Amino acid sequence: MYNFEAARKRSELLMNIRKYFIGKDYLEVSTPTLSPYLIPEPTIKAFGTRFINEFAVSRDLYLIPSPEIFMKKLLAAGSGSIFQISQCFRNAEQLGDVHNPEFTMLEYYTVGADDEDSIGITIDMIEKTKLHGVSPSWLENKPLVITMHEAMMKYAGVDMDKAEDIGYLRSEAIRLGLNPGENEEWDDTFNRIFLTYTEPALPKDREVYLTQYPDKIKCLAKDDGTKPVKRRWEMYIGGIEIANCYDEETDKAKTEKYFREEEEKLIRERTGTEDIIVPADPSFPGLPIPDSSGVAIGLDRLLAVHLGLNSIEPLLLFSLSDMLLQ
Amino acid sequence: MIKAGQIDKGTALLIKGQPFVCIEREFVNPGKGSAFVRLKLKSPSTGQVLSETMKSQDNAEDITVEDRDLQYLYNDGENFYFQNTETFDQIDVPMKSFPDYEYFMKEGETYRATFWEDQVLDITIPSKIVFTVAEAEEAVKGDTVQGATKYVTTETGLRVRVPIFIKQGEKIRVNTETKEYLERVNS
Repeated sequence: MYNFEAARKRSELLMNIRKYFIGKDYLEVSTPTLSPYLIPEPTIKAFGTRFINEFAVSRDLYLIPSPEIFMKKLLAAGSGSIFQISQCFRNAEQLGDVHNPEFTMLEYYTVGADDEDSIGITIDMIEKTKLHGVSPSWLENKPLVITMHEAMMKYAGVDMDKAEDIGYLRSEAIRLGLNPGENEEWDDTFNRIFLTYTEPALPKDREVYLTQYPDKIKCLAKDDGTKPVKRRWEMYIGGIEIANCYDEETDKAKTEKYFREEEEKLIRERTGTEDIIVPADPSFPGLPIPDSSGVAIGLDRLLAVHLGLNSIEPLLLFSLSDMLLQ
Repeated sequence: MIKAGQIDKGTALLIKGQPFVCIEREFVNPGKGSAFVRLKLKSPSTGQVLSETMKSQDNAEDITVEDRDLQYLYNDGENFYFQNTETFDQIDVPMKSFPDYEYFMKEGETYRATFWEDQVLDITIPSKIVFTVAEAEEAVKGDTVQGATKYVTTETGLRVRVPIFIKQGEKIRVNTETKEYLERVNS
């Protein structure tokens, strides 16, 4: 009933990863999974619970969707490069295949590195931490690094140089047979095209690093400075999204603006719905983040692709969907 | 109208005037983007499968469907022929819309069908069906590697791997999803 062979492989992968980062002088940290505040992220739904204190005011607490908030506090306090393997929680996601509301994340921050350095680090880490006696075919092929500009042109015929103009992007979406809504936000029209044509067409026989996302998709990665793109990437193996990376934003004013806008959006979208509004951490935007690059990897998914699976379910000793079926 | 995020496997939709049934649904959250759903939708009349990616908040036109019991009569290679057990109307359903269903259609058995107006959108196959063994191979001597099994063919033409003791004319229960033998049925 329980897949102990998979449990052994997971243990081996985690041990290899710990050895890898410790060998490169990263400090392994352990930060909370339960927090009174988070980074405002309107696209992620959190799990909420309540801390009951008989002697003081009780407080709402939230399970972290990633350890970013705490790891960046450590970076700002001078920790140097750090890594962590932790449980993370995302609500309102589908059960099964590549999703489980509780999952294992590897997150590592390399001080002094940028997003391009992180590609090299990630390729090397994946190669050096591979499982004994298992050789998935994707690991034999040279990883592909492709910009969003190249991928959108190649797989959807969309010229991202012109796509700053929402009118052009809309007309391209319609040309491709899609139905962008009236007054739709730029991100949504872009994602319609990206998710229908580009993402499914990315090569599946190797690691694919998709880089330079449009800067119209707001996030805490640095602006490129010369092109209208963010210094971030996402990595896919076998069509499954495995990792993402930012060259972390260090400009306090930009971080503050991002926080304010995302928090406003979150409150606007969730007021009057059942979705909980998680308080944003007020101290976060003022943190003196050093130049650094952070990568988050879904470890259940990485283990799955090492073992040639396209689902994480067989790897979870207790998947939530199984528990709910009982 | 329903939101695309509420579409589930089995939901029937009208797309450009044609009915489709959702056969696969996957939620996708692009990095830093709104939630989307990837759908695979099958046309019951042509068997054509559409891939659609929609924002969870997009509207879709759902249709009201109704379940009716149909007794299976026969097929002629192109259509399945059923009889409505209440009205005794005869109903034909193109076989190409339901590939491999002929292996699970037993004459005289009753199946639940999902209708939109007069069109059959879906036919529910029971998860377990009892078949009669129409043909049984001789067990290969010395072949004990697989725990001594052989193939038999049911009256519907389905090939099933069974233990060697199963003989022609006996009844067996089969898992219709995996096409695997479950047990011998004593009649």
